[in-house]
Amino acid sequence: MSSQVAFKNIKEIPPVDYYTSGRRTCAGCGPAIGYRLISKAAGPNTIFIGPTGCMYVANAHQFLTSPYAVPWHHTQLGGGGAAAIGVASALRTLMLKGKRKLEDINVVVMGGDGAMADIGFSGLSMGLSYDYQRLLYIIYDNEAYMNTGVQASSTTPWGATTTFTPAGKVKPIGNTRLKKNMALVAAAHPKVKYVATATLWPPLDLMNKVHRALNAGGPTLIHVLLPCPKGWFTDPSATVDLSRLAVETGMWVLWESIEGQFKLNYKPKPRKHVREYLAPQGRFSHLKDEDMEKIDKMIEEEWKFWEESAKLGRLVVPY
Amino acid sequence: MSAIKPIPPVAIEKPKAKVWNGARAIAEAVKVADVDVIAAYPIRPYTGIMNSLASMIANGEFTADIIVADSEHSQFEVVKHASAVGARVFAGSSGVGLAFAAEPIIVTALSQLPVVAAIGTRALDDPGNFGMEWSDALMFRDFGWLISWAKTVQEAADMTLVAYRVAEDRRVLLPHFIALDGAAITHVATPVVPVTKQQATEFLPPYRPPYRIDPQDGPVTKAQHIAPSLIGPEQRKTIDVAQKRSKQVIAEAWKDFAKYTGREYPPFLETIGMEDAEFALIGMGAYMKDIELVASRLRSKGYKVGTVRLRYVRPFPAEELINALGGVKAAGVIEFGYSFGSPFGTGSLYHEVATSLYEADTKPTLLDFLFLGGREPTVEHFTQLAEKVIESAHKKPQKKTYWLTLRGEDI
Amino acid sequence: MTVKLVKVTPKVERYPEYEELDWVIAHGLGVDHTADITSFSQTIAQAGSIKGIETYYYMRYDDSPERNYIPMAFYTVLGKPKVPVLLHEEVEPVGELFKVIAVFSSSLLLQKTAQRALLFDGAKKDAILLVNTSITTDDVVRLVKKYNLAQDWFGKVVTISAAKIDSAIAYPMLGALARGWDRIDLDSILTALDVLGKEKKKESVRKGYEAASVKEVHVLAEETEMFKKIKREVELPEFTGEFWTPEVYYAYQKAAAEAQTYPSRIATMPRWEVLAPGLIEFGPQPGKRNLGFTTPWRWQRPIIDMNKCTDCKLCHYYCPDGAIDFAPIKVDYDYCKGCGTCEKVCPVKAIKMVPEIEYLEGLRDEEVLRRFEQREYGF
Repeated sequence: MSSQVAFKNIKEIPPVDYYTSGRRTCAGCGPAIGYRLISKAAGPNTIFIGPTGCMYVANAHQFLTSPYAVPWHHTQLGGGGAAAIGVASALRTLMLKGKRKLEDINVVVMGGDGAMADIGFSGLSMGLSYDYQRLLYIIYDNEAYMNTGVQASSTTPWGATTTFTPAGKVKPIGNTRLKKNMALVAAAHPKVKYVATATLWPPLDLMNKVHRALNAGGPTLIHVLLPCPKGWFTDPSATVDLSRLAVETGMWVLWESIEGQFKLNYKPKPRKHVREYLAPQGRFSHLKDEDMEKIDKMIEEEWKFWEESAKLGRLVVPY
Repeated sequence: MSAIKPIPPVAIEKPKAKVWNGARAIAEAVKVADVDVIAAYPIRPYTGIMNSLASMIANGEFTADIIVADSEHSQFEVVKHASAVGARVFAGSSGVGLAFAAEPIIVTALSQLPVVAAIGTRALDDPGNFGMEWSDALMFRDFGWLISWAKTVQEAADMTLVAYRVAEDRRVLLPHFIALDGAAITHVATPVVPVTKQQATEFLPPYRPPYRIDPQDGPVTKAQHIAPSLIGPEQRKTIDVAQKRSKQVIAEAWKDFAKYTGREYPPFLETIGMEDAEFALIGMGAYMKDIELVASRLRSKGYKVGTVRLRYVRPFPAEELINALGGVKAAGVIEFGYSFGSPFGTGSLYHEVATSLYEADTKPTLLDFLFLGGREPTVEHFTQLAEKVIESAHKKPQKKTYWLTLRGEDI
Repeated sequence: MTVKLVKVTPKVERYPEYEELDWVIAHGLGVDHTADITSFSQTIAQAGSIKGIETYYYMRYDDSPERNYIPMAFYTVLGKPKVPVLLHEEVEPVGELFKVIAVFSSSLLLQKTAQRALLFDGAKKDAILLVNTSITTDDVVRLVKKYNLAQDWFGKVVTISAAKIDSAIAYPMLGALARGWDRIDLDSILTALDVLGKEKKKESVRKGYEAASVKEVHVLAEETEMFKKIKREVELPEFTGEFWTPEVYYAYQKAAAEAQTYPSRIATMPRWEVLAPGLIEFGPQPGKRNLGFTTPWRWQRPIIDMNKCTDCKLCHYYCPDGAIDFAPIKVDYDYCKGCGTCEKVCPVKAIKMVPEIEYLEGLRDEEVLRRFEQREYGF
């Protein structure tokens, strides 16, 4: 397990993108920023697996072109977990049998919240139970099925309005389920070497976590919160700001579990009120003050467990 | 375009027959085919194949990675993507397992990856039923998979090797199902002459897809989303042409297979007594042995009965079938697959046969005999239906389809 | 391997039956304008229905699932007796259809080549151009001549500064439309709003009707600057039976990137024999960019003040489209979608977003500066 910090300075990051320009992702797309940074950190010897979702359809074929400068293969919406096992297994077996030269190749699955937390949950869990090296599952979590037009997934936060959970006269809250914590789920797999959460802020955090994951010597998962201007009803220029606010309000907790060792990466001091993060988002515009207070209290409670985990150096389940 | 062509040996190696059930025989063929990645998930009756393979791998009989998947869906995703990377792969399933995996199964063909998979045919739920029906395998006849049907354990094993050769040929590049009648092939043990490692290596060239999902082959993007105004029917046509080309490749492969092993098979249709037949019994799979017995009994009584056994459902050998049935007065399709609400309440194989015969100059009277719900037929049933076929030649039949083994009125 | 190229001119089909109908095409930027364009189209169709005209509206489905700022369009079709109303997704290339071209952002008047079609492709000679803008009708005509290939156009320009009246810009736009087009009059639009339960918006429609500027225009093809420059033919690899090679793919990609109209882009798509099994494409070599088609998305552009820039690379790091080169820091405007992330993340405020219309034409348009305060759902 390499714990070195690979990217110390933004000026030293690789200038090359392997997920390149020229695609139909939204102006200000959070997952696109994430994809770029992940591809930079993973480097040229990488195979990307793309389950169905925005990062499949919005990067779609235009006139026989492709935005990927490394091998990329689509898999079905629920197929991310298994497809990566297929690729990793083929590479290892072909190398073992002398049919392919020995080489370190990264296999990275760019699955959305729907693809990983909902329909592909079982396959992901299977993937995390194997011991293939350089296998990284990314959950790019924009908190709903954005590609199909903003429908709630099991990572949609409480109180968000989506087209399947609209806030209405009789149901004023919108989504009443609580966000599923996929990083905790991943950490419950004994063979997983590295689990982390990330977002676009602070800079380099995501890239370094990708680097650590790929060098962890086993299956790994990073749950990345990536704001979606289309589905969150925010200004396209606000994407990075929202990432920062998610962290500073404590609504998104940055942590790592390195072979079971818990590390809290960032503790907001003082924690901003969740209102600062929720208010700019159109999907929460129907929430009343007391709803925001309720969310803030929930976050406050949850943080006791994160701090406890930090103290103990191992995960304490906060729910 | 085609890969390495080895020279057949002068003397054919003839190993001793071993008594194996279908599951074991297929596993032995997969072993000598030097498969790299296998994905398994249990469901009767195909599971035995995976049990055998797992045990062979555990005991070091050959090197392959066996993935114990969390579902059939994952199972087929694993092999699909391993195949895209350049590994030779094997999977399989039965009944509702195939239904659960329908999504990756379909896309495997539409993205032209030469996965080879075995189907132990089984009735679909509900209710749960270990009996044999063909509907699970025939569900996938429309998506580009090559589908072959074995009569014996020996043929099932041999078909496995030929399947790799055909599927991986660059003129084809399509996945291949080998359908094994549940229990009748999978669980029945007979003497089988194995294909030796040497024969397999010479018969089956290494798998080399044109472009692998591997950094070695550059920035290859596979199966991107498309706008149909840009690419639509064009992609479908590549699959259509691959299916059409596969007929020649299949014929070549079986011819070559005979050279290496000494075992000869007609590529598409096995016909018995059709040279002068007035009546034909058409079917597939393991029960053809019983049907052939019935035909020979009737022949000894003076009825000119012949049998036609389809070895492939996809590609469907329509011309061969028309030729075989030339001069026949009446024919019966014997099948274990159905399509509820279909024209005249006929079965899936009947549709294929009838569509083919529509192009024939002379059309025999065609009857359909259905064995549904998994209940096993007997020679008695086959005799009854053969007699109906004979009778239909001189007396217009009252109906087209017959549900055999059914208790109650067949309306 | 060298690829020999041959010239191909795309065939443009025409459907005279279509041309007899009154088509309204409404152009906007994805997500930002979806709700408004939906209301706009729905109200016109409702007004037509009240008058007893067979009518429908639909979204150009190829743009869906829509994306922030993607150039998107809705069609509303008003029938005529005995002329069948047909649904057809690909309407741009089929002749002279559009009686009304409604443009929800003036940035779309500046497009050189669009995702799908040039703005006036498919327009009738007497088309009405309705633009949501604060610039003058004269300026609109000037821009049309400069950028939009309105060949032999004898129609009208109607402008309305809609957001000044209502943040739901559809309604002032509808008023302005009634002002310029007699087929759908003000009364039928107001009645339609009653039927749709949007009585509250009637005031905005009336205000739009009053505030709209209308100007008759006469433009000859020769007056348009780009008319002579536009290339409708494309150069494609000659089909020799050789297929599956990256070289041929790259040649097709290049032809598509160079094609200037939608029909010619469609003409760059290969025959099936060219396609590798399993639908394979070849991405760019590392360090290069994919051939993109996203230029017309941008309504504003980042301008970097290199005197202030400290070369911290944050703008490169955070650009969603990878449109900012690493060294030296420089924006590739073929790929920038104008989201404004770089302006927000720049720690020394060296980047400023400038509306395209201001940058290219020195015009200040209040309407493109308008941001949505309250977005509606419009899926």
